[in-house]
Amino acid sequence: MYIIGENIHIISSKVKEAIKEKDAKFFQEIAVKQVEAGAQALDLNLGPRKKDGEELFPWLVGVVEEVVDVPLSFDTTNLAAIEAGLKKITKAQPIINSTSADPERLEKVPLVAKKYNTKLIALTMGTGMIPVTADERVNIAVEQLIPRMLEIDFPVTDLIIDPLVLTVSGCQEYCPELIEAIRTLQYVWDPSPHISVGLSNVSNAVPNANRPLINQVYCAMLMGVGLKMMIADPLDKELMEVVRIIEERDESTALSKAYLGISDKIGEMEEVTTDQFDLDDPEQKAIWKTVQILMNQVIYADSYLEQ
Amino acid sequence: MALELPKDKWSGSVQEVVIGATAADGGTRTAAVTVGGETTMPFVHFEAETPNRPVLALEIKDFRPNDWSTLLLDVWGEATNDPGAWAKAAEEAGADLLLLSLSLTDPEGNPNTPEAAVKAAKAVLEGSGLPLMVYGPGQAEVDNELLVPVANACQGERIVLGICEDKNYRTLVATAMANGHLVVGRAPMDVNLSKQLNILIKDAGLPLDRVLMDPTTGALGYGIEYGFSVMERLRLAALRGDAMTQSPMSVNVGFETWKTKESKVGDDVPETWGDWEERAISWETITAITLIEAGADIVILRHPESLKRVRAAIDNLITAPELS
Repeated sequence: MYIIGENIHIISSKVKEAIKEKDAKFFQEIAVKQVEAGAQALDLNLGPRKKDGEELFPWLVGVVEEVVDVPLSFDTTNLAAIEAGLKKITKAQPIINSTSADPERLEKVPLVAKKYNTKLIALTMGTGMIPVTADERVNIAVEQLIPRMLEIDFPVTDLIIDPLVLTVSGCQEYCPELIEAIRTLQYVWDPSPHISVGLSNVSNAVPNANRPLINQVYCAMLMGVGLKMMIADPLDKELMEVVRIIEERDESTALSKAYLGISDKIGEMEEVTTDQFDLDDPEQKAIWKTVQILMNQVIYADSYLEQ
Repeated sequence: MALELPKDKWSGSVQEVVIGATAADGGTRTAAVTVGGETTMPFVHFEAETPNRPVLALEIKDFRPNDWSTLLLDVWGEATNDPGAWAKAAEEAGADLLLLSLSLTDPEGNPNTPEAAVKAAKAVLEGSGLPLMVYGPGQAEVDNELLVPVANACQGERIVLGICEDKNYRTLVATAMANGHLVVGRAPMDVNLSKQLNILIKDAGLPLDRVLMDPTTGALGYGIEYGFSVMERLRLAALRGDAMTQSPMSVNVGFETWKTKESKVGDDVPETWGDWEERAISWETITAITLIEAGADIVILRHPESLKRVRAAIDNLITAPELS
């Protein structure tokens, strides 16, 4: 699993504060921490930064590249800020996060990606409603995103398609759709583009205490259909453990068997069933309840674990 | 050749809930009303019978309302000045149960008081033998201030207290538990929040056979399709065995439809809109029937003619058609 560390994110009040103070040490520490925890790239999500993006991104690139060698992912809608940051890159091939099928963005962003030889994350959404069914998402990739890359001769192998994780709290019925979108997307083009998702989005608007479990179980499901790249929190030790269990096919504990079982069943297009879990074990029971909400079999509620 | 109808097999059912208590059960109602108990999607006769008919409530007020349509004030006439008389008139109009919704202020604009609320509830219980629902004016603090004494005064009558919301449910649940009443919980057209509220109410100690849910719906032309699919999803989840979505559903059709422009406005509308009263009644009737098809167990109405028409529609829906 190729993990793009998500922790430099404007939603965090500490990050906001560090931007304001131009606190280089803060960003260096959080960068090193993520890489040491297993991140193979770092997402830099600073929001649109309309006023100071063209100054802030280059500054941050310099700060972060002083301490880590991994690719940096420019996560903003501000294309000028991205370009300013890209000029400053001296180490690994960076990532632009992101374009979409919005005609204006799809026109401009891939050209920048090509000019600076970056990888490019492309979201399966256009200008209208976020597409929700697996087919709609795949169609946007096949009919709009990939053709644009071919048109400008941008290598499809540098393209990273993000079929959009939606939150289980409010968009529950589409959680299984994403699984199917990922399953299909791997076979729509040869050579295949990469596929990546923003995992933590699945637990947006979920109370903090329940977020890690939902992220972990969804991760096992998505790995079952072949997900090999994601923007996620590498500091979530339990999440990293789930990744390890599935990659190494670790069957040594009841818990690892439970996670592996979820991943395998989803991979085989079979239903995950209650008999795969020891319901006397509270941890496995919670995992089973989480499977049911993520597969849209039981309606999500904030207190779903207490039901 | 005989046609073999495909049937769904459901593992769950809607919770059966009894509203109102007769003398035998420690109350004074002439009859109790039972709702819920369904084991299929609405009126799928070839899978199972509908165990309890959807019931119709008429809404009455403690004070003559100054924000109700003149069509309603005219049809109820003098009764609107006296909750006991209004209750009696509503029973005579054919209601299965009554909703007494308490006002925020009296007609002079003074804040409503617990004494006045209790007096109105008592008058309604005396004016009619129907089971009763009582709603506060919809402001958390005032609701609690008015409904707790009403619940105490109506002890044993198995009334429905409303409305519980996620930010304000503990007081109502506690007083319902103490006095043998029921509650209705309302979430804003959201399956997740509806379910969450039921979990909270149950965790607060009220058994699920004393809980109703109001999924909130829109009137015809004002989001009814969204309300419909929320109700449909809740019912499907209930039939699949999710206990926290199995409460019978109560919808306030009168409240929703009488605030639409089509019902509210008689003058200066296109001529093609037709007769005002007929239009307003149709709006209420069609909204009600649609939501009954979505699985509503309790429908609250305001106009007696709407009640008659919805009743006739239920009579048709409830009996299995002859399949030839």
